[in-house]
Amino acid sequence: MLKPAERGFFVGYFKKVPTDVRALMIGFIVFFVAGMASASVLLSLNTDSPGAGSYADELHGEHLIGTMETSPYPVLRVPATGSRPARAIMLAGSGKFGVDDRALPLAGKAAQVGGVFVKRGDLEMLLIGGGDDLKAAEPQAVALPNPSPSESLGRWRLTGEICDGKCGGGAMKPGTGLAHKACANLCINGGVPPVFVSTAPVEGHIFFLLSSANGGPMPARLLDKTGAPIVLEGTIERRDDLLIFKVDGFADGAGA
Amino acid sequence: MSVSYKPVIWNRSKMIYDGVLLAGIAIYILIFLKVGPVLSPALRDVDLPTQRMRAFGSLALLMLTIVLAIGPLARIDTRFIPLLYNRRHFGVMTAIVAATHAYYVLGWYFSYSPTPQLTALFTSNTSFTSVAGFPFELFGVFALIILAVLAVTSHDFWLSFLTPPLWKAIHMSVYLAYASIILHVALGALLDRRDLALGFLSLGGLTLLCVLHLMAGRRETASDHAASAKAPEEPWIVVGDLSEIAEGRAIIGASPGGERIAVFRSKGGLSAVSNVCSHQNGPIGEGKVVLGFITCPWHGYQYRPEDGCSPPPFRERIRKYRVRLQGSTVVVDPQPLPLGTKLDPVAIPAELLPPTPKKEGTA
Repeated sequence: MLKPAERGFFVGYFKKVPTDVRALMIGFIVFFVAGMASASVLLSLNTDSPGAGSYADELHGEHLIGTMETSPYPVLRVPATGSRPARAIMLAGSGKFGVDDRALPLAGKAAQVGGVFVKRGDLEMLLIGGGDDLKAAEPQAVALPNPSPSESLGRWRLTGEICDGKCGGGAMKPGTGLAHKACANLCINGGVPPVFVSTAPVEGHIFFLLSSANGGPMPARLLDKTGAPIVLEGTIERRDDLLIFKVDGFADGAGA
Repeated sequence: MSVSYKPVIWNRSKMIYDGVLLAGIAIYILIFLKVGPVLSPALRDVDLPTQRMRAFGSLALLMLTIVLAIGPLARIDTRFIPLLYNRRHFGVMTAIVAATHAYYVLGWYFSYSPTPQLTALFTSNTSFTSVAGFPFELFGVFALIILAVLAVTSHDFWLSFLTPPLWKAIHMSVYLAYASIILHVALGALLDRRDLALGFLSLGGLTLLCVLHLMAGRRETASDHAASAKAPEEPWIVVGDLSEIAEGRAIIGASPGGERIAVFRSKGGLSAVSNVCSHQNGPIGEGKVVLGFITCPWHGYQYRPEDGCSPPPFRERIRKYRVRLQGSTVVVDPQPLPLGTKLDPVAIPAELLPPTPKKEGTA
């Protein structure tokens, strides 16, 4: 008995292609090209918006003058002017660099700071360039009012995500999430202030500067928890318009 | 076939193949990066480096899925063999697309930092004990290393240098790369974004590949189990009946050790050769006698029926076996002859020639 009718035999280096093979291959080419186009449409469109964070050049080359605080991270306390209330502005450098080394000599002193903001909702961080963007205020005799003392908002348990304030503020979009975790860790290790993005607001804020329970930098152990949903406990402290979440443990009782 | 090693020996089939492949890649990337942001405000809000990461990353997964489907497809339906013919170019392009994805990731997430890029890649995330947050990038790195090794060793020089069995074994690690990429995507983008389309591509592609491989594997297993019967005279085996062999084609038997033997019928003679092509272990018995040469269906490697040698200046050789006719029954001695042994085809007696087998289509 003969085998069932066989199909044409394709040899790649021959010019002639069997009719049945040619027909299938033409169909496959159409399917392949259409499939690539369709897959691209589906995979590109199926995404969530990373939110409205963005760069904002509000200073237009001018400088802010305020009192430099360096704990838990560099923060410039800018006194109230006219109708604008006092502000506590988180500071970071270019790239994934913080400004601790430049801010530490100015701790407690009047400082003159320039740069570009990243802003997202109530998160505001000033990104400082090189040279004159961060220096002691001139003249040093400038009379700045003492910053308001910190106000305790009590103990809280918050659900949310740890990210770095720069990417989370809009330097990267998205600047949160698991895919961004390694980047967030690099930023935080580089000195960029970490923030906690809460799922529910406290006093109208969903972004909080993170610190250890004693007010120092964020505990290194929390680097393992960045980018993913997490529940943290601690106290919240207000400095002007900035809320600081002083983490002392996880929801399961483990200490941070 | 080639006697010297050139980067690529172009022919019309390869040019069409690569042209379609490059067109598909260009269409995918252009739609993703140029049309997608126009259609989707959400994608427009995503920064450009991240858009590029997603475009090249998802394309690499799609291409690897297609590459891995080609093998079983060609086993299930031989009309898909043209896809197999130039598959290595598909694989090399997949590696390049995956490397482009990695390039954008390194240049965005792991740059501008006090920590050097590659150091940062391996040290910035050490959450090895949690699923959500696991350093999924490492699976991508592992897969990319495999794909790069396979791309670099894809040329026939390496096939000859490493020998076909070792080369084939190394290239089977593409499945390890695929598994690693699935983990990379699942623990990264899928957990992060709950992306339905990406989930369908990953899990749907995985399911499709499993089904295709199981179907092709079942076909092979059935052939293996259908071991040839022993002939009355030891150690000869019965491969089949003469009437089962179409002109220019072969039937395939299996020796007691499992080695497959192909018996070709051409111009009134029978020749038995190994079913395994010396190039990439292609199934020669599914080939055809073209211009007097046994021709492998995968890449067209050719061998003389009488001695299993490629015509000069080529040097490839396959083993020959003794074959006889007992009545119309085709029997083969499963002991292979030394490589290069000349053995004229066994003439088919005139009384067994009619009725003439159905003429096959020409190549």
